Parts: sequence; structure tokens; C-alpha cells
Amino acid sequence: MKMEDMSLSGLDNTKLEALAQDIYSDLVEDACLGLCFDVHRSVKQGYFFLDDTDQESMKEFEIVDQPGVDIFGQVFNQWKNKECVCPNCNRSIAASRFAPHLEKCMGMGRNSSRIANRRIASSNNLNKSESDQEDNDDINDNDWSYGSEKKAKKRRSEKNPNSPRRSKSLKHKNGEFSSSVSTDIYKYNYNTGISYETLGPEELRSLLTTQCGVVSEHTKKMCTRSTLPEPELVMESDGYDVSDGQVLMSRLHWDGSSDISPSDSASSKASTTNSDPKRTKKKKKPSSLSLTAVGVDRGEREDRGGSGSGGVGCSSSSQSALGLPGRKKKPKLPAPLAPSIYDDLN
Amino acid sequence: MSKETQMRAAVNQKLVEMGERERLKELLRAKLVECGWRDELKAHCKDVIKGKGLEHVTVEDLVTEVTPKGRALVPDSVKKELLQRICAFLAQQSTL
Repeated sequence: MKMEDMSLSGLDNTKLEALAQDIYSDLVEDACLGLCFDVHRSVKQGYFFLDDTDQESMKEFEIVDQPGVDIFGQVFNQWKNKECVCPNCNRSIAASRFAPHLEKCMGMGRNSSRIANRRIASSNNLNKSESDQEDNDDINDNDWSYGSEKKAKKRRSEKNPNSPRRSKSLKHKNGEFSSSVSTDIYKYNYNTGISYETLGPEELRSLLTTQCGVVSEHTKKMCTRSTLPEPELVMESDGYDVSDGQVLMSRLHWDGSSDISPSDSASSKASTTNSDPKRTKKKKKPSSLSLTAVGVDRGEREDRGGSGSGGVGCSSSSQSALGLPGRKKKPKLPAPLAPSIYDDLN
Repeated sequence: MSKETQMRAAVNQKLVEMGERERLKELLRAKLVECGWRDELKAHCKDVIKGKGLEHVTVEDLVTEVTPKGRALVPDSVKKELLQRICAFLAQQSTL
């Protein structure tokens, strides 16, 4: 049927409304019928009256609608201000804090173990710094001493019995007790209170020519940054190195050394006037280290064949004595300086 | 058949065809449940059944008892909204 036959627009509003009303009442009747069928079915199936109980129970579980109370009639924070007695420590604790307190008190739960571990770690640190002040004897004595016991324990815990590295080290050492290797490494790298006093001069020298050696205040660990030559450093001139060294030495020696002439400082950037062609040059000048190198013993430096370049603060006489043939052209300044500090200390 | 009757039939048909009737029906049912009309009417049914006796209740009994009450119990807001939607539909149809 086409809509043109029924000109709805031709109808006036009242008729439209009447039409709408009819449609509406049809819809409502449908809804009512739906309900009736539902109820009738439930009656005949026998579950219509199931949610009803006796009047007494109905009253008991009636929905409560008072202010300050939930629908069951319970007050919201009724137990908040009450206090409970902890069965562990017999203290009276507020109810809202009771659960976390119990967790810590009994030592169960995630946080309590974390806190305990932290406490152990910090007490370990304290103990270890104390043990540094023990005699060398105590530390070297492996039978028993508090510090060495800890160190021994640490040594053992380093090597995981199941790790493949264990067999590797054994292979290399040909049966030598593998823990001795770790002892050395441990001494240099893992200690929490390294003291340069405990190491001999040769060990120190070999250690500090390869590694930085700065001991951190926080972790008490030694910096293991390599001091070996860097590839990117470019050599400008032969004489630059010596001049630098001389400048540094002039700063350090207040009494002045006969070998260093102040005029050389002017030529620090210039590249001339050096007899030793093998002079190597460093770009960087770690002044912090150099300033502490007081009283450098030049005689000892001649013996050094370390990886660093020779020559900070060397007199011209000792330059050739150093004899650096085949020296790499790009050394780093700290290397020669660092041993010199500790040479003096030793 | 009068023109009006014809027209009504046509409108109803259109209503069904476009699915508008179903939508209106669902809308009405949801609104009635929301406003508590269903629960009220159910309670009334309980009374009727208790009156008539559980075993002997028939659908017709329920219908005759419940429908007039149901029609009366529909809240005005729901009624207005439904009528609005129907009028809109009719207006839409007349312009086509």
C-alpha cells in the first residue's frame, strides 16, 4: 500500500494524536500480557511464592533505610576506633593498623622480609667497614676472624656450583685451586673496604697502571675503569708531553726542582724543543690527580714499563733513560701519575 | 474499510516493517522495569492468586485482573516519552 493513498499530512493533529495513543496502548497491553504469562507460568511451575518466607524473617531482613547506616543496618566505621591486642607482642594496636602491624610483627608478608634484608645489608656494611681497621694478620688468617669469615663466605657465594664458569677457570689453571683466582679478583674488585695499604707496591703498581683505582665513598668499591691508551687521541707533537709534565711538576713543587724551568710552561702548547722524539702526548690533564702527586720520585719511574706513557714531570735527563721505544703514541695521563702517588706512600 | 482504518493498518505495517515497533516495545519494557512498575504489578498478581487459589488460576483471570491496573500504573513520564517517539515516527512517515 503506498503512502500516497493515506495522506497523513492531511490528517489534523488530533487524529494524529489519537493514532499515537492507540499505538501506545497496544504497546502497554503487550507488556502487561508478557507479565501475566510470566506469572502464570511461575505459578504453575511452583516457583512463584519461593521468595516469600514467614513474616518474622521478612521483618528481620527488611531493607534498612536510615541515615548513617547501610541497608543491612550496619554502621560504617564502627570498629575503626577499637583497639586489638596483638597475640605476638601483646600490645594494643588500633584496628585499622592491626593487619600491617601483624605482618611485620610475625615476620610474614612481602614487606617484612624486604625490610629485614635491608637491615641485614646495612648492618653488613657497618661491620665490614669496621673490619678494615683490623690488622693485616687477621684478614690473612683464614682460620677464623670476623672480617675474613665474611670475606670467605662472600668468596664462596660468588662461585655458583652449577655455573659453567667454574669448570672454565679450573681448565685454565690446570688444577690450581680456583678460589685463589677469585681471591685476587676479590681483593681488587669486590671488597667493600679496600685499603691500598694492604697491597704491596708491586701489586699496586700493576693494578693502578691498568685501572683507575678511585675508591667510591658510597660503595667503597674501586673504580675499574681502564687506563689503557684510547684510540681517538691524536698526537700533535713530540714535546707536548714533557712540557705538560713540567707544568704540572712546577705546580706541585713549591721548592722548585732544578730540572724544571719555568720558561717551559710557556711552551706547553707549542710543539717544539724536545730532544726526545719518542715523547708521547696526552690531550687531557686530570689536574685533580696531578695536584696530589707531591714529591714524585723520578728515580723509580725509570723502572716502570707501564702501559701509560712515561714522562709526566720527568726531567730531561731521565727522559732518555726511560727509553720508550715503540711506545704507543696515545696514552692517557692518569696512568703515570697514579703510581707515582702511591710510590710515595709506600 | 474506511480510509482511516486502511491508513491505520498501513501505518502499523510500516511500524513493524521498519522494526520501530520492536524498538518501542523494548524501550517501554525497560522503562517499566526501571520505575518499579513490574514489581508493583507482580505484587498485585500475588494478591489475585492468593484470592483465587493457587491451583485454579488461569491466564484469563490474571489478564482481566491485571491489565487495567497495569495501564493505570504506568508513570506519566514513560507515557509521554513513548507518545513522543510515536509521533515522531508518524511525522517521519508523512513526509516520505
